[in-house]
Amino acid sequence: MSQQPIIHYHIRWRPSGHQPGAGHGVVPGSGDQLRSVVPLRDHPDPRRLDLHASVRDPFKNIWVRDFYLNSALKVIVLVDTSASMSYVGKVNRFKVAKDVASQLALSAYRSGDAFGVYVAGERMNKKRMLPPKANRSAWLWLQQHFSDIKLEGQHADGLFEVVPYLPQTPCLVFVVSDFRWQAGKLKSLLKKLSHHDVVPVMLQDPTEINEQPKRGIAILRDAETGKGQFVWMRSSLQTQMAEMRTKHIKSVNSACYVVGTRPFVVNGEFKTSLLTEYFMGKTHV
Amino acid sequence: MNALHFFKPELLWLLPFCLLPLISYGVKQFSYSGLEDWPKDRVSDVLRWLVRLMAVVTLASLIIAAAAPFTEGGTQTRTGKGAEIVIVLDRSGSMAESLEEQDPVERARGKMTLSRIAASREVLLKLMDQRPGDTFGVVVFNASPIAVAPLSADRELARAALKSAEGNSSGFTALHRALEMGLDYFKDRPYTATRLILLVSDGDTKIKDEDKEILKQRFKDYQAELMWIYVHTGYDFSLQYEEDITKADGAVDPNVALNQLFLSLGMPYQAFEVNSEAGLQRAVAEIGRATNKPTRYVYRLPRQDYAVYFYILAMGLFGILFWLKHIEIKVWRK
Repeated sequence: MSQQPIIHYHIRWRPSGHQPGAGHGVVPGSGDQLRSVVPLRDHPDPRRLDLHASVRDPFKNIWVRDFYLNSALKVIVLVDTSASMSYVGKVNRFKVAKDVASQLALSAYRSGDAFGVYVAGERMNKKRMLPPKANRSAWLWLQQHFSDIKLEGQHADGLFEVVPYLPQTPCLVFVVSDFRWQAGKLKSLLKKLSHHDVVPVMLQDPTEINEQPKRGIAILRDAETGKGQFVWMRSSLQTQMAEMRTKHIKSVNSACYVVGTRPFVVNGEFKTSLLTEYFMGKTHV
Repeated sequence: MNALHFFKPELLWLLPFCLLPLISYGVKQFSYSGLEDWPKDRVSDVLRWLVRLMAVVTLASLIIAAAAPFTEGGTQTRTGKGAEIVIVLDRSGSMAESLEEQDPVERARGKMTLSRIAASREVLLKLMDQRPGDTFGVVVFNASPIAVAPLSADRELARAALKSAEGNSSGFTALHRALEMGLDYFKDRPYTATRLILLVSDGDTKIKDEDKEILKQRFKDYQAELMWIYVHTGYDFSLQYEEDITKADGAVDPNVALNQLFLSLGMPYQAFEVNSEAGLQRAVAEIGRATNKPTRYVYRLPRQDYAVYFYILAMGLFGILFWLKHIEIKVWRK
């Protein structure tokens, strides 16, 4: 894994929690954002003495500044481990998923945020569960525990089982999958996660969209259902397939739109800079 | 009669193996993340079954071709023109004598008119010229028969054989063996035309009873006819005379006996008594008429082999399958 720049994720709300971190929190504590100016007896910290306010006070009270605690955010990654994630095209799809989780783990650690991982196929995988804690070894944990995950199952409904395990306080949740789910599944999952900030990370492969073989015959076997499909590749079919993929992305987009988010599409290799750009508000679908 | 037969029918037990392509795809497979939104492609579906069907038909045609199917050719009734004529020419000493009646004095002086064999030869050569559609073979005999010219389209050979035939006495005339040799010419030949043994002889020989039986069988086997041009000088006995008055009572002239023997053999038989060159020509003309009749014969057609068509079919399908294998996608990427 090559060294990639840190991911500057960004949320539009203040995380609660008393664990110090990089984000602007909601509880008082040591931080860089002024919360209020309080009398010294309420907040006995003479280091934060507000000289200006104290001098102006006609009652000669001594005032100190109170800050918001720079709180830790909880970054949680949900990984789909259904059989379709085993697809190897130009890139190994699950390796990309692991890459996304690893980079997020590194970035979370560097930002002082808590990091957690849950994986689920048809059922939730409770043996591969990392609750969101300030965990500096999360990256290592991922390397150890993601190498022997069996990618099986025809759907990823186990992700619904993960929801109760998530913290009740809002978190930043990444859902890493190819979202080849039944219609409506993504929408209902996003609704269940709606009190969190959810970023659906959609994994795609160029060989699914525009880097297919131009012509020839082959049999495609669905990794999930095992159904075979005889394919005679030709330009008209290729156009149809590209249309289908566009339609799929649109359907994921519309599902995300309902809960006020949009998917981050990874086409091929994962680049952290693109994810940062995503958080900066640029579109790159 | 035209039913399909197999040379090696036991190979047909392999036919169930044709269904193997229906079990295995044979085309390279790729794991794909999801086919639920794959475009409905009727052409691909049809092609898939077409490929399997082609593989099945290829295997089936190979196995069927290996089993070597054929139909019996059956038989066909054909009408043949011309005849196969084997000239059995006597070249015994007596044939060197004069054909026509001659003054005995002059004869004693050794002044010869046209000899029997020379007259026969010329007439026979004319016969050959007149009948271009016929096939000729020549056997000459005196004490033993010589197969001079086999029954073939090579007429020059037969002509040369006739031309070279000269009377030469060796004391004995092996008539029955000459006839057998002439009949042997027909051996292993398909019966396509009238078969005629044209015996040109002046007789004066005997055929024993045991040889008679053999000859009778041979004539029957080969479906041959016999014509005897009895070349004799006017003062010789006619074949019609029954009793040889110069000999003991009840004795028959050998030629009369021979004629009766031929009559008793059972095949179509005609005898021509000839004692002049003109007579000889008349006889030959008569022979021409007799053998000019179209011959109806049953022709056995060769068996029809169908394996080659199956092999061609298999090769064509193999070509298509090889092409399909060639355009098969090796790696699922651009």
